[in-house]
Amino acid sequence: MSITSYNGSALVAMIGKNCFAIASDRRLGVNFQTIATDYQRIFQIHDRLYIGLSGLGTDVQTLYQRLKFRHKLYQLREERNMRPETFASLVSAMLYEKRFGPYFCEPIIAGLSEENVPFICTTDLIGAKQFSSDFVVSGTASESLYGACESMYKPDLEPEDLFEVISQALLSSVDRDCISGWGGIVYIVTPEQVITKTLKGRTD
Amino acid sequence: MAEAAIALPPKGGFNFDLCKRNAMLEKNGIALPRFRKTGTTIVGLVFKDGVILGADTRATEGEIVCDKNCEKIHYMAPNIYCCGAGTAADTENVTDMVRSQLELHRYATNRESRVVTALTMLKTHLFGYRGQVSAALVLGGVDVTGPHLHTVYPHGSTDTLPFATMGSGSLAAMSVFESRYKEDMDKEEGMEIVSAAICAGIFNDLGSGSNVDLCILTKGKTEYLRNYQKPNPRSYIRSKGYDFARGHTAILSTRITPLKDQVTIIEGDAMEE
Amino acid sequence: MGDSQYSFSLTTFSPSGKLVQIEYALMAVGAGQTSLGIKATNGVVIATEKKLPSILVDETSVQKIQKLTPNIGVVHSGMGPDSRVLIRKSRKQAQQYFRLYQEVIPLSQLVRETAAVMQEFTQSGGVRPFGVSLLVAGYDDNGPQLYQVDPSGSYFSWKASAIGKNVSNAKTFLEKRYTDDMELEDAVHTAILTLKEGFEGQISGKNIEIGIVGADRVFKVLTPAEVDDYLAEVE
Repeated sequence: MSITSYNGSALVAMIGKNCFAIASDRRLGVNFQTIATDYQRIFQIHDRLYIGLSGLGTDVQTLYQRLKFRHKLYQLREERNMRPETFASLVSAMLYEKRFGPYFCEPIIAGLSEENVPFICTTDLIGAKQFSSDFVVSGTASESLYGACESMYKPDLEPEDLFEVISQALLSSVDRDCISGWGGIVYIVTPEQVITKTLKGRTD
Repeated sequence: MAEAAIALPPKGGFNFDLCKRNAMLEKNGIALPRFRKTGTTIVGLVFKDGVILGADTRATEGEIVCDKNCEKIHYMAPNIYCCGAGTAADTENVTDMVRSQLELHRYATNRESRVVTALTMLKTHLFGYRGQVSAALVLGGVDVTGPHLHTVYPHGSTDTLPFATMGSGSLAAMSVFESRYKEDMDKEEGMEIVSAAICAGIFNDLGSGSNVDLCILTKGKTEYLRNYQKPNPRSYIRSKGYDFARGHTAILSTRITPLKDQVTIIEGDAMEE
Repeated sequence: MGDSQYSFSLTTFSPSGKLVQIEYALMAVGAGQTSLGIKATNGVVIATEKKLPSILVDETSVQKIQKLTPNIGVVHSGMGPDSRVLIRKSRKQAQQYFRLYQEVIPLSQLVRETAAVMQEFTQSGGVRPFGVSLLVAGYDDNGPQLYQVDPSGSYFSWKASAIGKNVSNAKTFLEKRYTDDMELEDAVHTAILTLKEGFEGQISGKNIEIGIVGADRVFKVLTPAEVDDYLAEVE
């Protein structure tokens, strides 16, 4: 069993029209035993920037704390929020620093720029960045998420439609992965508001 | 200097804090995950007026294609570019590190960077890590001493060649070069052979795929042709797509957080002297 | 710096609460060749005298205005060798920032880091303060900016400033000539006129240096021929 599948996770982010969505499952397990059903893997960095961390739960929390610390220090030093691209580079640099003893996390970064241009990006566990103009996935359910997103995703969706697509992609994918699931949480970020919805999913 | 550990920014270099823990996990029979690789076909060729570099655009993680259109030709200096194969994070970082060193070197010397300088910096770094930093590179550029093409292996050995291939598709690409390479080719012929070599990798090596990127370096001029050829367009989009009616997904809770208007700070009155 | 436990700071307070070493450093700056900078609406210009100790020195080998990044340039007054240390450290800092964020360093951040180095040398053991003041000019997302950094490590943003010999005359001249709606071309002319004020001997493209950065965000040191063209314009 791989260490990234010790706790189980499913993460996905998608770009819509002047908006983006980021979603994850809510299960925390130890192998096949479910420990928690409200586990947080998506974190807010600032108003319009989110990071999702798949992989080992302990590293998820450590990495998030370090990233939050670095971003707050940046805010104090530069008196501005990080652009999503800049934050992605920071994440990548921090992961690569541990090239020979990595955190077992594959992050997804999703943000809205000052000009309301959506940005999504993922890296592997040692910080190899990959930008995308449609969707990015991560976690133990990533293989089935690739399939679901490839067929369900459409460009330029309105926030309401984007929510349906990302939710259906997430729910159908975690149903084919036994170590992620237990519903989901979706963040839709538009220039005006953030809509957070928790999804009803299978509990088996 | 305990507080130095959290002082920013870090000085650079690797951090081995988690190695012991990870080794313990591995010893307990837990498999460590794979890194993102560029399966890759990368090539380079010297023609009459300079160098042409080529690359495919597929990135893989195990058997999964995780990026269908990634960039493998990295900028090193205005007159030098470098194709990377191997672990994606390593190629990305090793080229960016040398790019940074070259820039500082240019400021110090007020001269155009030389390809051998980049080559020496790359091989010194890679040899120092004894192949652990797994970057296989094709380095090309034109400097004051003319056009140069080199390959760099992960352990730090290098070759200087008129035509070169690297990555999992190197054999397929080399077959094209071996049969068709001539000395003193013109640019069009060179581009044709380079893209044929990349296509050989794309179609015959499963680690390589998608599109062809080219970079043509001549004296005083660099052309980066991103997605020069797209032989593998997406052919399986359902014309109607999948439609989900709004409100179709079962929801447990909804929370709406309005975002504050972005505040722009207008300069106050000028400071009194 | 100051690694040895026996090295102590040479910059210590006098009973009246002054750090005389810093004041001496400012004297070294005041004895240096005049440099000045002007922030215009669409760019920044920095300029300096380049007087050489002897006519036998090859003037093409002396370069006083230096680039820190493609969009930021710097000029110093005071001890040339000291400035090279700061330039080297600043360039490295800019590269480190870029390697971390893949984004060019904002001028304000670079100046702060450079000033931090200068401050460190007023408090560390076994070192002396830098005998230079710097004028840093750049153009970034926050528009055109001009900063002055002093040996104490203090820094300010200026509309126009001067350092080195004749500083008070040059500043008075700039105060008279400066307007808020000045464009880069006017600023270059004003910079030349200001240098001319206190200049001993005939001014030419070979004994002054001018660096400009405009809205294209490319810092450029003018060639002697280009400086001569500007000189012809102001005459």
